[in-house]
Amino acid sequence: MSNSPHILVIDDEPQILRAMRTILTEKQFKVTTASRGEEGLTLAAASEPDLIILDLGLPDMDGVEVCTRLREWTQIPIIILSVRDSERDKVAALDQGADDYLTKPFGIEELLARVRVALRHSVQAKTSQGSQSQVVKAGPLTIDLAWHVVKRDDEEIKLTGREYKLLSYLAANHGRVLTHQSILTHVWGPADADHTEYLRVYMRQLRKKLEVDPEHPQYILTEPGIGYRFIVDESSQ
Amino acid sequence: MWNSSFLSRFWQYLLAFILIASVTAVFFTLRNILDTTLIALLYLMPLGIITALWGLGPGITSALITFLTLNYFFIEPYYTFTVHRPTDIVILVVFLMVAVVISQLVGRAQAGLAAATAREREATQLYELSTALTGLNDDRAIAQILAKQVRAVAESEYVELTITGAQHFSYRLPESELPARPPELIVSIEAARGVLGEIRIWRTMPAISSSERRLFQIFASQGALAVERAWLAQAESRARILEESDRLKSAILSSVSHELRTPLSTIKAAASSLRSKEVGWDSPARADLIAAIDDEADHLNMLVGNLLDMSRIESGALKPKREWNILSEIAGSVLIRMKNLSTAHQLEFDVPESLPLVPVDYVQMEQVFTNLISNSLKYAPANTVVCIRARVEGESVHVQVSNQGPQIPSAHLERIFDKFYRVTAADRVTGTGLGLSICKGIIEVHGGRIWAENVPDGMAFNFTIPLTWDGAKPPQLPMDTESE
Repeated sequence: MSNSPHILVIDDEPQILRAMRTILTEKQFKVTTASRGEEGLTLAAASEPDLIILDLGLPDMDGVEVCTRLREWTQIPIIILSVRDSERDKVAALDQGADDYLTKPFGIEELLARVRVALRHSVQAKTSQGSQSQVVKAGPLTIDLAWHVVKRDDEEIKLTGREYKLLSYLAANHGRVLTHQSILTHVWGPADADHTEYLRVYMRQLRKKLEVDPEHPQYILTEPGIGYRFIVDESSQ
Repeated sequence: MWNSSFLSRFWQYLLAFILIASVTAVFFTLRNILDTTLIALLYLMPLGIITALWGLGPGITSALITFLTLNYFFIEPYYTFTVHRPTDIVILVVFLMVAVVISQLVGRAQAGLAAATAREREATQLYELSTALTGLNDDRAIAQILAKQVRAVAESEYVELTITGAQHFSYRLPESELPARPPELIVSIEAARGVLGEIRIWRTMPAISSSERRLFQIFASQGALAVERAWLAQAESRARILEESDRLKSAILSSVSHELRTPLSTIKAAASSLRSKEVGWDSPARADLIAAIDDEADHLNMLVGNLLDMSRIESGALKPKREWNILSEIAGSVLIRMKNLSTAHQLEFDVPESLPLVPVDYVQMEQVFTNLISNSLKYAPANTVVCIRARVEGESVHVQVSNQGPQIPSAHLERIFDKFYRVTAADRVTGTGLGLSICKGIIEVHGGRIWAENVPDGMAFNFTIPLTWDGAKPPQLPMDTESE
């Protein structure tokens, strides 16, 4: 990563801001903080950070709305923070363009992993639509998005058209959480956006074909109540 | 009197005249055969009938008319009102007296009978009303029944009943537009506390009589009593709920303060000793203390989560986000997490993939499995088997989580799903005592049932989840038939 990436943290709790500032500065990030939604929007426009960490429970405005207003003019990656049991809000924010989420309380490794993935995707989006991200490797799996070929240990895995479409969408967005709705809209079309059962069944089929132990998936992970996440082996990056 | 509602007074008199005229005509043709006294005697018969049928007025009038016709047609000299023979005078006088007396007696008896019938009908209507109102504790239902009964009894065109209490509402029958004119009768519904509302009745034909007015007053006061009783019952049940939630709150407070302080004390002790520099940077104690802080923070988070869930269940705010899910996927993911936590037990998994899709909230169902399995792990001795199995039974799916732990006395089987209920003393087991009641809350909002039972080698938790969702059966997905 060039220079030190700039992260804007929008959260109304001073203790969280203090901890985030300490931890992220320690990890060589440049950190700006805001404790209100309006302040956050202004800072985002003024300083154009590389990443925004946004708490959903702000005193002056709904975090989902902050997301919507940011997405009106920028594609800066947004990671949302929220408390447990607010799946609806998380899904709403993700569908409004947020990139990922973290549930409070969270471990610092989790936070850093999310930050890394989000920054990588934004760099990729900026630099090219080119060929470097056309092959996704995850452990023994190789997914060639250009040639529509999926291999495990050099052995080709046969997928149906729909399965391939599903896998390629997941793989192209590896590391990021994808909501049920966004997957359904992408793979089946907007008319089927509510048919979560399609996802459940197709994901099971995909896992059977791809995972070493389908009951204990390593690559296609379920995010309960939210969606799915395709994980590539972190060490291979 | 029985047909007075069908015939106006005029028709009664007219019919009386016609009867007298026809009887007179018959007697006239037989005038030469019959004796005057016999005719007088026979005349009493139609008089009795007239009085019995149409009452005192037509009866007395007919008596006077027959007195005149008897004199005019049947007592010599005919066709005059003069009387020559003294016996005839006696006959006429006696006839008149007897006719009037009979009319009066029969008429009075009839009137008495009619009054008794009317009273009986009123009593029946009141009885029907009070039977219909008994046991009703809903003011709206009471108002509806009262309005229906009033309309049925009054045979009115429209009835509107308004209740002006804490909530204002009204019923109109039929449910169409009310007529523009003012109602013919307004009866206010009054109780000890004041006016509760009013009944408005529209009926032009026949006009509302004073006895009907009185009857509707009684109806209204019956209704007032019922409504008041319903309000009292509602207030009482609200008070009971408040009392119950108050009791729950104090139970939560005592349990929570104990449960929350334990991890907090650990965290505080560990953090402060790390800060005091008494623990060297490289000492193994340092790693231990940091791990303790991490673990206890997670534990604290779980406790707070449980409390929030419970309060959500209590307040009815727990709304499942239902979707068609694969049960084996949910249960399987929990099982893998549990396997990592507990190596002391053997976990057996028998949830077939071939089960139909179940309409459940993924996150909530995960929690049910987590709580049931962790409860089993907590009480069952090491090296025993905890088994999770699921089968379709009729219209639902039946899940069983069984363990080889100690059996539960049958008196406790029902109650272990209660909040803060423990079979063992609270200080011997950790946890909020909320896990199972949260399971119960979740299963119940999914329309299922949860229970515990003793099995030959231990005990088992069971629950069912209906396979239908708003009447819809599990979707049969078109399997992927695209080219392989």
